[in-house]
Amino acid sequence: MAGLKKLGELQKSEERLAYLLLLPTLFILVAIAIYPLATVFYNSLTDKKFASSQEVSFIGLRNYRELLSVTVKELPPVIDADTGEVQIDSETNQPVYERAINILPREPFRFRAMKQFNLFGKMYVIGATDREFVRAIGDTLAFTVVTVILETILGLGVALVVNANFKGRGVMRAVMLVPWAIPTAVSSRMWEWMFNSTRTGLVNVVFQNLGIGNGQIPFLVDTAWQIPAMITIDVWKTTPFMALLLLAGLQLIPKDLYEAADVDGAGMIRKFFTITLPLLRPTLAVALVFRTLDAIRVFDLFQIVLQNTRFSMASFAFYNLIDSQTMGYSSASSVVIFVLISVFAVFYIRLLGAEND
Amino acid sequence: MTKRITHIIGRIFFWFLVLLVAFYMLFPFYWAINSSFKTENQLQMTPATFLPRDQTTLEFAPTFQNYIAVFRNERFQHGLINSTIVAVSTTLLSLLIGSFAAFALGKLRFRGRTPSLYIILSMTMFPQVAVLTGLYAVIRVLGISAIPSMILSYLLFTLPFTAWVLTAFFQGLPDEIMQSAQVDGATPLQTFWLILLPLTAPALVTTGLLAFINAWNEYLFALTFTTIEVDARTVPVAIALFTGEISHQEPFGEIMAAAVVVTIPLLILVLIFQKRIMAGLTAGAVKG
Repeated sequence: MAGLKKLGELQKSEERLAYLLLLPTLFILVAIAIYPLATVFYNSLTDKKFASSQEVSFIGLRNYRELLSVTVKELPPVIDADTGEVQIDSETNQPVYERAINILPREPFRFRAMKQFNLFGKMYVIGATDREFVRAIGDTLAFTVVTVILETILGLGVALVVNANFKGRGVMRAVMLVPWAIPTAVSSRMWEWMFNSTRTGLVNVVFQNLGIGNGQIPFLVDTAWQIPAMITIDVWKTTPFMALLLLAGLQLIPKDLYEAADVDGAGMIRKFFTITLPLLRPTLAVALVFRTLDAIRVFDLFQIVLQNTRFSMASFAFYNLIDSQTMGYSSASSVVIFVLISVFAVFYIRLLGAEND
Repeated sequence: MTKRITHIIGRIFFWFLVLLVAFYMLFPFYWAINSSFKTENQLQMTPATFLPRDQTTLEFAPTFQNYIAVFRNERFQHGLINSTIVAVSTTLLSLLIGSFAAFALGKLRFRGRTPSLYIILSMTMFPQVAVLTGLYAVIRVLGISAIPSMILSYLLFTLPFTAWVLTAFFQGLPDEIMQSAQVDGATPLQTFWLILLPLTAPALVTTGLLAFINAWNEYLFALTFTTIEVDARTVPVAIALFTGEISHQEPFGEIMAAAVVVTIPLLILVLIFQKRIMAGLTAGAVKG
């Protein structure tokens, strides 16, 4: 009996010690993550301004409506008052349509035209109350999808090469850590210089030699080139990380599986699809989602290279906090990012759970 | 015979791939080094040259003026000092606090262990930008200056990772060590300090390195918290906002020199601790 009691006491003191040791970590995480997150949620419902003594009022979901309202409206053709027929532009020979600004709603927020398109002979316009943010969502998602796909394919290629047994393998692995170790701020400036808009920029020189452009392509200013340039930089910087994760996965695959396949006379390609790819699947899944979560919150690259000409979701939030000082509005955009990332994170934890069962 | 030929072709193709990968990964950094040794005029030469060359004779003619300018630049000097203070403090704090938590999570029995583990795991994926405005408010309430603000806020991404990886390491240590220490009359805390912590030294080095590199490279918080306190800027912010002493145009020669200067120490660290870093990077993501 006494022994049992003592055991119980021991257990209790062990528990007390555990809580004591966990306390600093939990306290810090509450102070710098959970409490600030709650403040961000609350601020997103207000019109709070940064560094201002102006009274703050609660405005409900107004910030979100202003951020996310998107509408599609048909643009009717202009009818000539005299003839009663559709006006035709004499230069282009196309029907003249009503101006988007007259069609898009103005209440409660003014919608601005983002894009016009023609569908089944009718003209439509997409309007958004905050063109910049809607565009940032589109750009960030496109950036995420393309970089993650490219990084996975290239990373897998690199991992397969480095996984082979050859002299200099150690050196190669060290080489792979170089782009990863360079601070993003630094690599952004390095690439900014290579993407320079004259023939002093390396990319322009190479492109001109390949017969693309006249050596004056403004990669970082021209809207058609901006996102491809961002993707190029990110793929260079992050492919090695992907390759390292996949390499670790490749090394978990038992060697005797390949030996058995050799005995059966299976070729390289067959071995890849029947052994490597299926057994790499768990690692691949984890790496994919890790990268996705990282790409959605991309900040450094967009903020440094594109300045304030075009935004990722994160650089939009930053711009609205520091440059526009609209703290409530910025908070609302942060919440949108948080929700998007949480959806992916839940998916990730489910995936891991499924792998463990 | 044909088998040998295909073998040789295969080898050639393989080495071609290896060289291609190495070229792809190293070339941009090489280009930065190349540009850092060029004068403003050499940078304007078209087409761009692969080595710093004299404009008329085209002879190899590197210059050190960019490096001299960078080291004379006060903003950059401050940046190096600030970055060192911030990154070292963040690393030490997260190792200290994280190893406490990891010991509890990895070796002690208590109620609420599993939820705590989940909280820490989910924190490793926490998006920094989501708390940006809230964290700024907290820091203004606390009234602390930019450098301690950065140290505190960097724990957001270093602490959960450190705690998570170290927990896995503690779990891997055999229970017998703790039991025999207890039989000898050591308290759990003594066991932790005197026996377990020295055993985790390799894991401490790995996680410490990763925390250091992440803190050294951080940009978002550093940029936000130093908007008013310009003297507290760290190296990434200094480089992103780098402007020349003389010319109005972006001084890319100096920027590249600065880029090389801040990257070299990281590369040395990475080359020395290559194996440890790789183990640490994959520990969070890949579980056998």
